Amino acid sequence: MGGYIAKRIGQALLVILLAYTAVFLAVQALPNDPVTIFLSADSSADPATIAQMKAYYGYDQPLIVQYLNQLGGLFTGDLGYSLSSGSAVSTRIGEVIGSTLILAGSAFALAIVLAVLLTAAASLSRNNTVRKALLNLPPLMISIPVFWLGLVLLQILAVQLGVMSLFPDGSLLALAVPIIVLAIHLSAPIAQVLIKSVQEVNRQPFVDVLRAKGASESWIFYRHTLKNAAPSALSIAGITVGTLLAGSVITETVFARAGLGQLVLQAVTVQDIPLVQGLVLLTAAAFTVVNLLVDLIHPKLDPRIITAHAGSPRALVV
Amino acid sequence: MRNKNLGLKTVALLAAVGLTLTACGGSNATGQSSDPTTAAGSGTPVEGGTFTFAEVTPINNWQTQAARFYEKANVLNSVLDRLTYFDVESGKVVGWIASDFTANKTQTEFTFTIRDGVTFSDGTDLDAKAVQKNLDALGLGIKSAQIQPNVDFAAYKSSEVVDKNKVKVTLKRPDANFLRATSSVTAGLVSPETLKLDNAGQTAIAKIVGSGPFVFESEKADEEVVFTSRDDYAWAPETAANQADAYLEKLVIKYLPEVAHRAGAAQSGQVDLVRGLQPVDEDVLSAGGGQVLAAQGVDLTTNHAAIRIGSGKLNDPKVRQALQVGIDRQALKDTVLSDSYVLAGSILNHQAPGFVDLSAELGYDPEKSKLLLEEAGWKVGTDGIREKDGKKLEITVASSNNSVVIKPAFELIEQQWRQIGVQLVNRAADNSFLTNAMVDDQIEFFGTRQFAYGGLGPVYAPATNNQTLNADKELNDLFTREQAATTEEEHLKLVEEEQRELVLDKALTLVLWDEVQVYGANKDAHIDFTSGTAPIFQGAWKSNG
Repeated sequence: MGGYIAKRIGQALLVILLAYTAVFLAVQALPNDPVTIFLSADSSADPATIAQMKAYYGYDQPLIVQYLNQLGGLFTGDLGYSLSSGSAVSTRIGEVIGSTLILAGSAFALAIVLAVLLTAAASLSRNNTVRKALLNLPPLMISIPVFWLGLVLLQILAVQLGVMSLFPDGSLLALAVPIIVLAIHLSAPIAQVLIKSVQEVNRQPFVDVLRAKGASESWIFYRHTLKNAAPSALSIAGITVGTLLAGSVITETVFARAGLGQLVLQAVTVQDIPLVQGLVLLTAAAFTVVNLLVDLIHPKLDPRIITAHAGSPRALVV
Repeated sequence: MRNKNLGLKTVALLAAVGLTLTACGGSNATGQSSDPTTAAGSGTPVEGGTFTFAEVTPINNWQTQAARFYEKANVLNSVLDRLTYFDVESGKVVGWIASDFTANKTQTEFTFTIRDGVTFSDGTDLDAKAVQKNLDALGLGIKSAQIQPNVDFAAYKSSEVVDKNKVKVTLKRPDANFLRATSSVTAGLVSPETLKLDNAGQTAIAKIVGSGPFVFESEKADEEVVFTSRDDYAWAPETAANQADAYLEKLVIKYLPEVAHRAGAAQSGQVDLVRGLQPVDEDVLSAGGGQVLAAQGVDLTTNHAAIRIGSGKLNDPKVRQALQVGIDRQALKDTVLSDSYVLAGSILNHQAPGFVDLSAELGYDPEKSKLLLEEAGWKVGTDGIREKDGKKLEITVASSNNSVVIKPAFELIEQQWRQIGVQLVNRAADNSFLTNAMVDDQIEFFGTRQFAYGGLGPVYAPATNNQTLNADKELNDLFTREQAATTEEEHLKLVEEEQRELVLDKALTLVLWDEVQVYGANKDAHIDFTSGTAPIFQGAWKSNG
């Protein structure tokens, strides 16, 4: 187990290093250095100012020095300076990350709950029509664009009925509505995979044995089926982190919330490359960490991952 | 299959419900709209209240020179005072922090008399010494904080404190536009302590100390900034309707990046004022009882496409003139714009000093366009697009996405130019394309509008010219003469000549519509705007307090 954890953590660090290198190289591939690009939006930028700013931010140094300096900075949490605000990238991110964590974290938790509830309802329902309707919900949920749902809800709740604010004013609704909008979209793929794998588990002989022993359907579902079906849904949940971040760009814009998504949008619009660089790196790190957690939880749900060697008859075929 | 249909029907139903409710938004109110020009003037101002203004994007750089961008200028106008103010009605620069100003005959020396009793919000005096430090920062930049000089202060050499209330500025060369530049929002005065901060400090609203009618109270990053009215404010611009402190108690700046909510936000009273209303939402808001306020950008050029001739296709003035009259501007207004927009009569807008109305020569004349193109040797090819020496008349436009109407406008022009055999590649509103296109003379058009304080020299002259990227000797001589004009009469005459050259004879810019910012306001809001389209919060009030 210890070896497995160490290996996974090592892999995660390597992924982050590669992500950093890829982002660094991508910035070098741009037609100009970050300072020139940023100042090109300003009609008055003169070469002397550009040169001075380049020197100040270290963009006039040889590439390898820049690479190592920036890498060294990473270890101390220094992501460089945001050109659009003059403050440190880490400060800018720090100002708004809490807002995104609340939004994304709650949406993620709600999405899991929604997915499990939907799967339970669809699996346990005895009414054929109801079950079919429930099975069709995930494709519908994933088809509804986040921005559309957000716009419609705000139009109804904030503009027509006036029961909520168009702005994040700290009220319960102003927080709950964006969370729900994001969670609905997010829960769809998780529910889809969970339903599929519950159906597969249900076809296995041990379920028939349980039924023959007289176990109730709900007991079988919660105690056996769900547990066996969970690993694949968990993997999908890990991958949805990407959807979550993309979704928060849209949700934060529609609901006028501060956050990483909104910050990405601003950074790209004003061509603040160091800020974009920091955000991309943070996203890569978040993605890696969540998938690392998934990998670490996996053996708890299915010990065969560790106990079985690849190729052995007990190895899990994924 | 049945299940798929069920899903589809549900989506369709939901969509229909959503759209119906959205549509209801426009028709369930009383239907009242007001004349923008008298918005602030009607009735007796009510004291007190909190005024909420929604900008389109969060503001992170509050250094005064960043006010070259609307979102910053709109707020900084009420936080920092300037030496002078441009009064649209008289078309003259009037006193603000400078109660008086004089220039020598050659326009190389300017003396400002600083008003008595003005203080910054931290209590320190805004005297000649403080002004001198600010002028140095604007004219020379602040190296230690990576703040570059203000482009409108390009002629600045030095300034000296004559006595407690007098500052004398010396310029490197005559500049007839210098005085007007001191009225720009990009020339806001800050406390000398602020000028000592590092870059991050000077760009942070929490640290900037000004002398304006509103003082920073609190902020929530990327969500809102709250300002409080300064009770002892008593130095509004000479021509301001309100000479005392603001009627409002608090000013709250929020951000509404989502364009679809702006009309609804103003109508429902969630904000008192919102910027960036789309033409399609104007009627919805008026019908819903809100106000549509069009703030004319007198300080700016018209919206135009500056022409770059690097690709060689537009070398011949005849081709450029053909394009100029190949645009049906009235159709632009009828289909893409709204009544809030005024069609351009020149490169300067109608209210700018020195404006000359060239609209008679800008009428839509596709036959003339075709003739001019034929004369220039561009013959219609098999696909309807003109060719010359094996090259197709395929030309590209680049622009930022700052204006909500610029992309659809060029889409329409693209259609219009097809009629005369010209292919337009529309890259308007594509910011990443613009980054390089802005300095690439191979890209034929740069769609934009620029602050032009005074003449066109500061915008089109070689030192700062990012419009045409073209060093045309005749034009440059003209710009130099314009900036060196010693009397107002001579200056205006040369500004007029510049417009004729740029728009007609050399046709180096295709003019489209006067710059305007369209705001949506709640029915209870009373507000006016500066010549730079910034809301004047110091004079604003709400009927419901």
